[in-house]
Amino acid sequence: MEVLAGLSTPIMMGILLGGLYVLIALGLSLVFGVMKVINVAHGDWVILGSYFAYTAMTMLGIDPFLSLVIGIPLLFGIGFGVQRFLLNRAFAVSLDAALIVCFGISIIFQNFCQIIWTPFSRGLRPPYALESFTIGGLHVPLVYLLNFIAALAVMLLLREFLRRTYLGKAINAASQDRRAAQLMGINPARVYAFAFAIAMATAAIAGVLLGLTFPFTPTSGVSFLILAFGVVIIGGLGSMMGTFIGGMILGLAQTLGGYFLGAVAQMLIAYILVFVVLAVRPQGIFGR
Amino acid sequence: MRVTIPRLRRRLIPFVALIAVLAVLPVVGIPQQWLLYLFLFFLYLALANMWNLLAGYSGLICLCPAAFVGLAGYTVAIGTWVGVPFYLGIIAGGGVAALFALLISIPVFRLRGIYFAIGTLVLPEVLKYVFLLWRPVGGMMVGRGAGYAIKGVAGVSLAEWYWVALVIGIASIFLMRIILRSKLGLGLAAIRDNDSTAASSGINVFQLKLYSFLIAAFIMGIAGAVFYSYGGYIEPVGAFNIRWLLTALLATVIGGEGIEQGPIIGAAIVVLMHFLLARYTGISLIIQGVILVSIMLAAPQGIMGLIRKARAYRSSVTVSY
Repeated sequence: MEVLAGLSTPIMMGILLGGLYVLIALGLSLVFGVMKVINVAHGDWVILGSYFAYTAMTMLGIDPFLSLVIGIPLLFGIGFGVQRFLLNRAFAVSLDAALIVCFGISIIFQNFCQIIWTPFSRGLRPPYALESFTIGGLHVPLVYLLNFIAALAVMLLLREFLRRTYLGKAINAASQDRRAAQLMGINPARVYAFAFAIAMATAAIAGVLLGLTFPFTPTSGVSFLILAFGVVIIGGLGSMMGTFIGGMILGLAQTLGGYFLGAVAQMLIAYILVFVVLAVRPQGIFGR
Repeated sequence: MRVTIPRLRRRLIPFVALIAVLAVLPVVGIPQQWLLYLFLFFLYLALANMWNLLAGYSGLICLCPAAFVGLAGYTVAIGTWVGVPFYLGIIAGGGVAALFALLISIPVFRLRGIYFAIGTLVLPEVLKYVFLLWRPVGGMMVGRGAGYAIKGVAGVSLAEWYWVALVIGIASIFLMRIILRSKLGLGLAAIRDNDSTAASSGINVFQLKLYSFLIAAFIMGIAGAVFYSYGGYIEPVGAFNIRWLLTALLATVIGGEGIEQGPIIGAAIVVLMHFLLARYTGISLIIQGVILVSIMLAAPQGIMGLIRKARAYRSSVTVSY
């Protein structure tokens, strides 16, 4: 009973933290599902979102969530441009070329963040960042709960968007069969650009929540990218529900690993889990 | 044979002369700074050659050179702490890197294409955490994480390290030549072009890919071990850093992926860039990133690809070839 009571905190924290990983992974999953390219710059986009909110908060005193009103369109625009002018051309060469271009974009943005915001560790600290409340004897940090709620909301919104709107259906069609979609009058290049831009918009939201949860530096994009890969890999590529479950599993692995083996080992446990799943079942638990 | 030997010799003579000139450079007293850049050039050349073998010829986008480099560096460092001299440690480092490659090949080679890339991207990050936590010898933590000084290298001069690097760099060029003209190279080319056709023609796809992976890991490991032996200190964040991937990738892509001479030109340009960008360390990553993206978009076959195209065009016009 003692053990169970001790375990309930890491389990709850793991599930809520998983929400953050889901948020980061959703954009990655969308881009992979549609374009079959791993956007290795995704982690850096998320960090860019964090820095944007940080600037809005420290310079103008705007609440991080309110800053999304500008942050989302900004990243949407950058994403649209990058896909339209860089990645589309790389696709014409090969998928490897697209991967290498993404890698180039990743280091450009890392260095960009380093110049503007210095390499020091930052965090988003609005007044409610440290608040928590108690449910049934469990202390729940508000930020962690927000992670979970935001993940659920963004995931459902994205799912409905892909199912119900014209653009969403076009994205789906282009990802299933590019040529058939083209014959039906869909312009794949344009659709891809929108898919990429939407992924960037989710990165903006993920960035704000990441900044509220963890401290970040210009180079922390890589570790969150790998975590997001983990989520996508565990859940299975292209499956929204799989991504959601994958996030929960990874969050749990991290908090339980931290609980049993100490705080330093928690990231190691999460990475090893990713590798094991990759080795045993590369298409993911929910993958086809 | 009578025909091939003179032809080979004629092509070899300038090459041997060039090596001889490079070998006597430290003796005739060129500036230390130049020697250092040449030292780096030969190590980067070995890295890029091996990355080219994997990406350009075997169809393996390997994102983990840092894992091989770091592991080999740690092998040397830990070896010197338990009494193994560093020159044996360097060879052992290559061995450990190859052993690690063999170990991970079991899970990683089940992954194809893009999954292989993701799988290898995770490796250096995992190793970084392992070495931040794990300190096998030497007791107390020194500095940040599990950093090690490499013992017994104080007496070795830069000139001597330069010769070691020269041997490794030249050896990697010859190795590529030998591999690509052997059965292994032909098999790899067949796999790269179409792996199911290659498999149905009796090529053991798994085995050939594994061979090239092991060779690449060994050479990358040796190059990394020499780099850290020269530096005299190793720590996890630098050793398992993504910049090793960046160096190998940039050198290969700039020179020409899948072209034998590509990495030579690419590595030279990367070192030149380090030299020129030394004063602008703040923006060096941006510049390197922009170069990477624009080369990939404008000339995906790199500089050697452009030269080849120009040559093919000229020869088709004048019919002199």
